[in-house]
Amino acid sequence: MLKKKIVNNLLRIVGEKNALTEEAKLKSFSVENVQPGIVLFPNEIEQVSEIMKLASKESISVIPWGSGTKSALGNLPESVDVVISTKNLDLIIEHGASDLVATTQCGITLKKFQSALNKERQFLAIDPPHVGRKATVGGIIATNDSGPERFRYGTLREFLIGLKVVRADGSIFKGGSKVVKNVAGYDLPKLYVGSLGTLGIIVEATFRLYPVPEYSETYIVGFSTLEDAHNTVSTLLKSDLVITSLEILNPELVGSLTKRNDLDLIDDLYTLAIGIKNVEKAVKDQISTLKMICNQNGGKGKLIIGAQEEQLWEDIRDFPWELFKAERVVCKASVVVTQIPQVLTTLKRLSDEYGIKTYISARAGNGILIISIKGKLSSIIDSLNSLRSFVSSIGGHLILQEAPPEIKARVQVWGDFGSGLGIMKKIKLNFDPNNLLNPGRYI
Amino acid sequence: MTTQHKSKSLSWKKKFRDKLIEIIGATGVISSDDELIAYECDALTGYRIKPIFVVLPKTTEEVSAVIKECHHENIPFVPRGAGTGLSGGALPTDEGIVISLSRMTKILDVDIPNQRVVVEPGVVNISVTNAVSSSGYYYAPDPSSQIVCTIGGNVAENSGGVHCLKYGVTTNHVLGLEMVLPDGEIIEVGGKTLDHPGYDLTGLVVGSEGLLGIVTKVTLKIIKKPEAVKTLLASFDHIEDAGDSVSGITARGVIPAGMEIMDSFCIRAVEEAVGAGYPIDAGAILLVELDGPTAEVQAQLPIVEEVLKENNAIQIKVAKDAKERELFWKGRKSAFPAMGRISPDYYVQDGVIPRSKLAEVLREIEELSKKYGLRVANVFHAGDGNLHPLVLYDSSKEGDLDKTLELAGEILQVCVDKGGSITGEHGVGHDKKRFLSLMFDENDLDTMNLLRCAFDTKGLCNPGKLFPTPRTCVEPGMKPFKEHPVQKAGLGEMY
Ligand SMILES: Cc1cc2nc3c(=O)[nH]c(=O)nc-3n(C[C@H](O)[C@H](O)[C@H](O)COP(=O)(O)OP(=O)(O)OC[C@H]3O[C@@H](n4cnc5c(N)ncnc54)[C@H](O)[C@@H]3O)c2cc1C
Ligand SMILES: Cc1cc2nc3c(=O)[nH]c(=O)nc-3n(C[C@H](O)[C@H](O)[C@H](O)COP(=O)(O)OP(=O)(O)OC[C@H]3O[C@@H](n4cnc5c(N)ncnc54)[C@H](O)[C@@H]3O)c2cc1C
Repeated sequence: MLKKKIVNNLLRIVGEKNALTEEAKLKSFSVENVQPGIVLFPNEIEQVSEIMKLASKESISVIPWGSGTKSALGNLPESVDVVISTKNLDLIIEHGASDLVATTQCGITLKKFQSALNKERQFLAIDPPHVGRKATVGGIIATNDSGPERFRYGTLREFLIGLKVVRADGSIFKGGSKVVKNVAGYDLPKLYVGSLGTLGIIVEATFRLYPVPEYSETYIVGFSTLEDAHNTVSTLLKSDLVITSLEILNPELVGSLTKRNDLDLIDDLYTLAIGIKNVEKAVKDQISTLKMICNQNGGKGKLIIGAQEEQLWEDIRDFPWELFKAERVVCKASVVVTQIPQVLTTLKRLSDEYGIKTYISARAGNGILIISIKGKLSSIIDSLNSLRSFVSSIGGHLILQEAPPEIKARVQVWGDFGSGLGIMKKIKLNFDPNNLLNPGRYI
Repeated sequence: MTTQHKSKSLSWKKKFRDKLIEIIGATGVISSDDELIAYECDALTGYRIKPIFVVLPKTTEEVSAVIKECHHENIPFVPRGAGTGLSGGALPTDEGIVISLSRMTKILDVDIPNQRVVVEPGVVNISVTNAVSSSGYYYAPDPSSQIVCTIGGNVAENSGGVHCLKYGVTTNHVLGLEMVLPDGEIIEVGGKTLDHPGYDLTGLVVGSEGLLGIVTKVTLKIIKKPEAVKTLLASFDHIEDAGDSVSGITARGVIPAGMEIMDSFCIRAVEEAVGAGYPIDAGAILLVELDGPTAEVQAQLPIVEEVLKENNAIQIKVAKDAKERELFWKGRKSAFPAMGRISPDYYVQDGVIPRSKLAEVLREIEELSKKYGLRVANVFHAGDGNLHPLVLYDSSKEGDLDKTLELAGEILQVCVDKGGSITGEHGVGHDKKRFLSLMFDENDLDTMNLLRCAFDTKGLCNPGKLFPTPRTCVEPGMKPFKEHPVQKAGLGEMY
């Protein structure tokens, strides 16, 4: 429980109308079922700074909160005193269209930010899950989320060129700059991508943007064996084609996608979803080349465009959260591209062995597999642990993105941080000496 | 605490040298004055300091052992690649040693199907592309110094090149590192796979100017050569028109691989030096390279030509084959050295502005040039607003160098005033540390120091660089060290 005096001081900083204290309302801001003592909605950066100064003085824990869509990511929290929601920090500060850069406050939702950028036919080149709901720019930076288009564009680390952060002691600093090329000082933006709110509250960010591609088509194609699908991927990667998204979907996932989209695919095949965005002629030329490559490997496919195409990609991004409304188990494996088939085969074996069902979409050109698992709790735990030891044995990583607390108690969330862990801990200690920010969840 | 280095005694030096020799052998330790001269400076030759020794390790373990020795003896050390840096980053420190990585030159792994290459830090930039080009791949960041500079130096400076507009700079192509921390511990961060759990230490170390440790292995991403390439050479009477063309092209949704501008000084110097086929009487030229799928390049070509014409291009040449294209680029890449033909000395400035402000900034530079009575030649990575004004001077003329540095400093102020940066690719190093405060306030710099202190509590690794004023490390939770006003005024020293 927070002391009355502290609550009053916090209320004084943001004003009563920008805070929640009633039990009933606090519940929806719980982190892994731990309820905060107060939720604050500062509307100025200085208020965030004041809150952190007070938190440092009183040693109370602080959870930065975007929309809470990903509050399930991370170890179970050690303590949840104050939630700072960035909701009211949602101004776009500047869109320099002719410089292809934009600066915004971080509480803005990605959706709102993108639609502002789209007016100038530009966009921030990331396509994380559930943009349709309320993921904020700050939350996306903190979680380093991405989607299938990372094949073409990369992840946020490529686009975040500047930021402003409130540190644990309340000091406000900026890093990077507002121009696309800059090497003055350390590259602090990199440190904050994927920092999971443990190193400060990101209040402002500057991004490099891209022009919206003129035209888009997607070819979706099934193969009778995983080997054929993978050979196709290898050929595509070696070709001159400039592909935007390249996913391998496993048969279980194909089955569920086709039901929802009237796609009429063959359920039990490994299937590639290949998206190309470019000027119209370049899309059409390339699609015809890639059809040929797929056909040579025995693929049977169809072209989809327009609304159906958009829907398919949204489904691929969001499937773990669409398929399972509760008790979700989502993990992410990363390996080198050539090892994807081995991971898929291992998952198939684990499914048979433990009687679980796995739904998988693999970023075939990046070596990332997004895996959602359904089954008995104990079977899930065993298969996750086997999967992790397999993935580690081939030099990869497995991260648990979301799982019920019972599973997190038996399966490590992050796995092995590697030999850099000592430095990571020192960074955390130097930036947040009293361990106030998202304590226990990450580093 | 801080490392104050009192001059070491001769006997100490001998003992220390013996230890170094024990670690890496006599041929790996340079201690004679005439050989040390070569390590007194990098390509910014105005600053020179003689190191006590230079060591040339061949393995990570040797680097680690040397650093442990330095850590134990509180001896500062400066990593060095090929010494082509332009900010004094590899400038030795007083009473310190230089650790040259020039003998760690192995390409350890070429993994074409996964598009990865693992190299030792002393590998020369161009060798990476050479190792993979027969398979149709290349390493994208291409600094003009690429035939000499090392990957370790590129990583430390986060170097750019002429094709970085579309493909990004070094940081966008480095996926993992092995490094030796300033206390000698060897760690690995990142690697061939993506999305490693934990903070992005790879991203932090790239561009950290050799202050966080010594990089001993680098995992690079290579990319496929594009299907089609078209290089345009447009000439203009006025450089402002070239500048406006650049933002005109991106405004039309075209992101070329690179866009480079050179003014009339550069054109003449380069023509004399390499005969690249540039129009000698033009006020400026703009090089635009488009690449990608054939159909995309074909669609973009007329758009670019239209923008160039709208902005009063007098002549537009499209390179007819690979040979002519290489010639166009050769001219651009020899711009710095070619300056020697029109001026006894030159100082390379490196600043960044939003590209939409190119034309106005060029006018301001022109005015500054008049004010100081010094010629300024302009060559720049126009696509990303990265200027390289070359201040031409004569070191034999009394006061010329001081005026040059003052003028160059004013150019940085202009860049920052326009919302830009004091360095786009050459780094802060020794040369620009006093300008870092133009961009960052005390809180910003303290934050950077917190980071440095997580790696290097003793401040032994490339000390005296980057930060405008010395900063020490304190126990977490205590206020970071700030210079006392008495010290600032030069009236007293910390001890
Ligand atoms: C495993 C997983 C589950 C997901 N589940 C859903 C879902 O159910 N519904 C949905 O719509 N989307 C979901 N997403 C996608 C989600 O929308 C985005 O990934 C986005 O990152 C979350 O943004 P947010 O604003 O909601 O962040 P939050 O969930 O509020 O925060 C995520 C993390 O970032 C920190 N943080 C937030 N803002 C800041 C800031 N300004 N500064 C510093 N730290 C900050 C938080 O403390 C927290 O640790 C999920 C993604 C993953 C990978
Ligand atoms: C003619 C000319 C043209 C140039 N063109 C460009 C250009 O187009 N783009 C560009 O970005 N730069 C350019 N430069 C600058 C320079 O070439 C780059 O900064 C290059 O990356 C330096 O590499 P180097 O091996 O020479 O490093 P050095 O100069 O030896 O060192 C540079 C910095 O890196 C550190 N360092 C070196 N190796 C390591 C290591 N293994 N671990 C940790 N730190 C290390 C040093 O301490 C120093 O701080 C040019 C220079 C010249 C002379």
